[in-house]
Amino acid sequence: MKFWGTRLGSIVLAVAGCYLLQTIFQGNPGMNRLVVLACLWVTLSVSLNLINGITGQFSIGHAGFWMTGAYISGVIMKFQPQLKSMPAMQLLLLMMLIAFIGTGIMGLLVGLPSLRLKGDYLAIVTLGFGEILRIVVNASEPIGGSYGLFVEPKVNSIFIAAMLAVITIAACRNLLQTAHGLEFLSVREDEVASQAMGVNNTTIKVVAFVIGAAFAGAAGAVFAHLEGFISPTSFPMAFSFIVLTMVVLGGTGSITGSVVAAIVLFAIPEYLRGMSVNGEPLRFTLAGFVAFAIAGIGALALAKYTQDRVHDSKGKLIRYIGAVVGAIVVTGVFAAIFRNIPALGGKEIGVDQIRYVIFSLVLIAVMLLRPQGVFGHHEFGWHWFKSKKSQETVA
Amino acid sequence: MALVQEQEIAGDGCVSETILELKEATIKFGGLTAVNKVSFVLNRGDLFGLIGPNGAGKTTCFNLITGVYRPTSGDIEFKGKVINGFAPNKIATLGICRTFQNIRLFGALSARENVMVGANLRSKTVMPSSFWLLPPVIRETDEMRAKAEHLLEVVGLKEDMSTRSADLSYGEQRRLEIARAMATDPELILLDEPAAGMNPLEKETLQKVVRRIRDEFSMTVLLIEHDMRFVMGLCERIVVLDHGEEIAQGPPESIRSNPKVIEAYLGEAATH
Repeated sequence: MKFWGTRLGSIVLAVAGCYLLQTIFQGNPGMNRLVVLACLWVTLSVSLNLINGITGQFSIGHAGFWMTGAYISGVIMKFQPQLKSMPAMQLLLLMMLIAFIGTGIMGLLVGLPSLRLKGDYLAIVTLGFGEILRIVVNASEPIGGSYGLFVEPKVNSIFIAAMLAVITIAACRNLLQTAHGLEFLSVREDEVASQAMGVNNTTIKVVAFVIGAAFAGAAGAVFAHLEGFISPTSFPMAFSFIVLTMVVLGGTGSITGSVVAAIVLFAIPEYLRGMSVNGEPLRFTLAGFVAFAIAGIGALALAKYTQDRVHDSKGKLIRYIGAVVGAIVVTGVFAAIFRNIPALGGKEIGVDQIRYVIFSLVLIAVMLLRPQGVFGHHEFGWHWFKSKKSQETVA
Repeated sequence: MALVQEQEIAGDGCVSETILELKEATIKFGGLTAVNKVSFVLNRGDLFGLIGPNGAGKTTCFNLITGVYRPTSGDIEFKGKVINGFAPNKIATLGICRTFQNIRLFGALSARENVMVGANLRSKTVMPSSFWLLPPVIRETDEMRAKAEHLLEVVGLKEDMSTRSADLSYGEQRRLEIARAMATDPELILLDEPAAGMNPLEKETLQKVVRRIRDEFSMTVLLIEHDMRFVMGLCERIVVLDHGEEIAQGPPESIRSNPKVIEAYLGEAATH
């Protein structure tokens, strides 16, 4: 029974891994929250990857589904306060299950009419859905309206959040291991051909949409109980775009890419927020920033040129290193020069103030240098450690 | 009149079963009649050719049969059942599969995966079970992989089965499309210009493959082709379309000497 051995082994490994994560970060309340949020972002980006990357349906309403899940659990807790007597963990699991199913149904309701549309049109409809939901909640007094809603009790469990992320990843990966998963990919690649091969495009799209929405909903329930308070402003439209960015940056269709991009893109602003030198928040002058921007653009241009025109790997490497070193040198030199300009030298800004600028610069750099995303269509797997073999989606 | 002709041909001893019948199938796009009252009968095991000059409505005929368009009037019967206006995936499930004139492969997928998408049509497991990776699904996927590899061997792509289909050469892509269509276990396979862009050697191999599809896999073949030598050497019966109308029908010898056919082709050549 090799199969059950592998199956059992991976489940044990996943549970142990999540438990380990919990034990490592439990003592540190600040980190604890960040790790849970990171797990939620991973869940969101992997579930959107199922819709956007694997099935190729351009949806940007994911914050809406996240919000649906959060509000389902928030509203239930408001109107059924006797549930609070349940043990916190069981309660959270129950809420996640209800949010999973409820948001799945919401996904079905949104998906059935809108999945007849393609590309830009679908994007606009899903965007509209997210906005409508936010505005409707904003106007609904019984569920808090714009004042928001307190969700009792607060539950903070890395273990559950991490397990949710693992289950989302496992579901998507398992799907791609089978021929049924190829149906989803075929819809992305060519709808006319997939239909001619007997694939029911509508069913596939709706299934992807419902499952993606459901996982986002479960993540929403965890979020609601993590924060203890939700309001429409907790789920701005920008969140939909950030999730989408994670999917695209990681490589559309690559689960590995979605996971890595979610963690990295979540970590960058958080890391920059806390960046400090000797206890003081890191600050630098506007002169430094301008110099950095100029050097960055230069380095990017050189790297792009290298990618397009240079074809031997050694020459490429030299130029890439040159771009990085050059960027650092140019930043230093220009910063020294600009410091003497009063308008630039006098102002000081903290890194935390411009963290989203840096975040955006990272995105621009990746999209210029690697438009297919960091991982492209590739997946991380055991084949990385074996001799060079085919990297097919179905192993 | 067409029907009488059919019976004469089928009347050489054995009575064959009708698999596909077009009954005065017509489609109009606005004022343009792309296919006008075309009727023909395909018997099980036929190797049937559909020819005609550019714009004669051959591919539109395929689109009618496979459900891309719904006929404005007339009927299309598959195994005695009217299939007008069925969704293309429904028609594929019934047992008609096609290739495309402008190649439509799943570019990012490997050759083998392309064929597996076709094979998955006959899947006996339900999709939700794949989220749990239940043993039947794994077993079935392995079977489909084996089937795909066999079909790729038939069309001569065994070496390239792990190659991204977009990276294959033109001729290889055409053969891959055939393998993908065969994987759906169709009773009737429609090949839209399978030999286009192939060199003479490849065409010869393709002829053998098409014959094998019919003889070994017992599929009925309906093909569109511009290369007359290819069609005449392969097909047992041929329908000729011109300006959406059927102008001749019969075995290759009679088509070759048919004055209407010659006029359609030469007339076209003269105006160019």
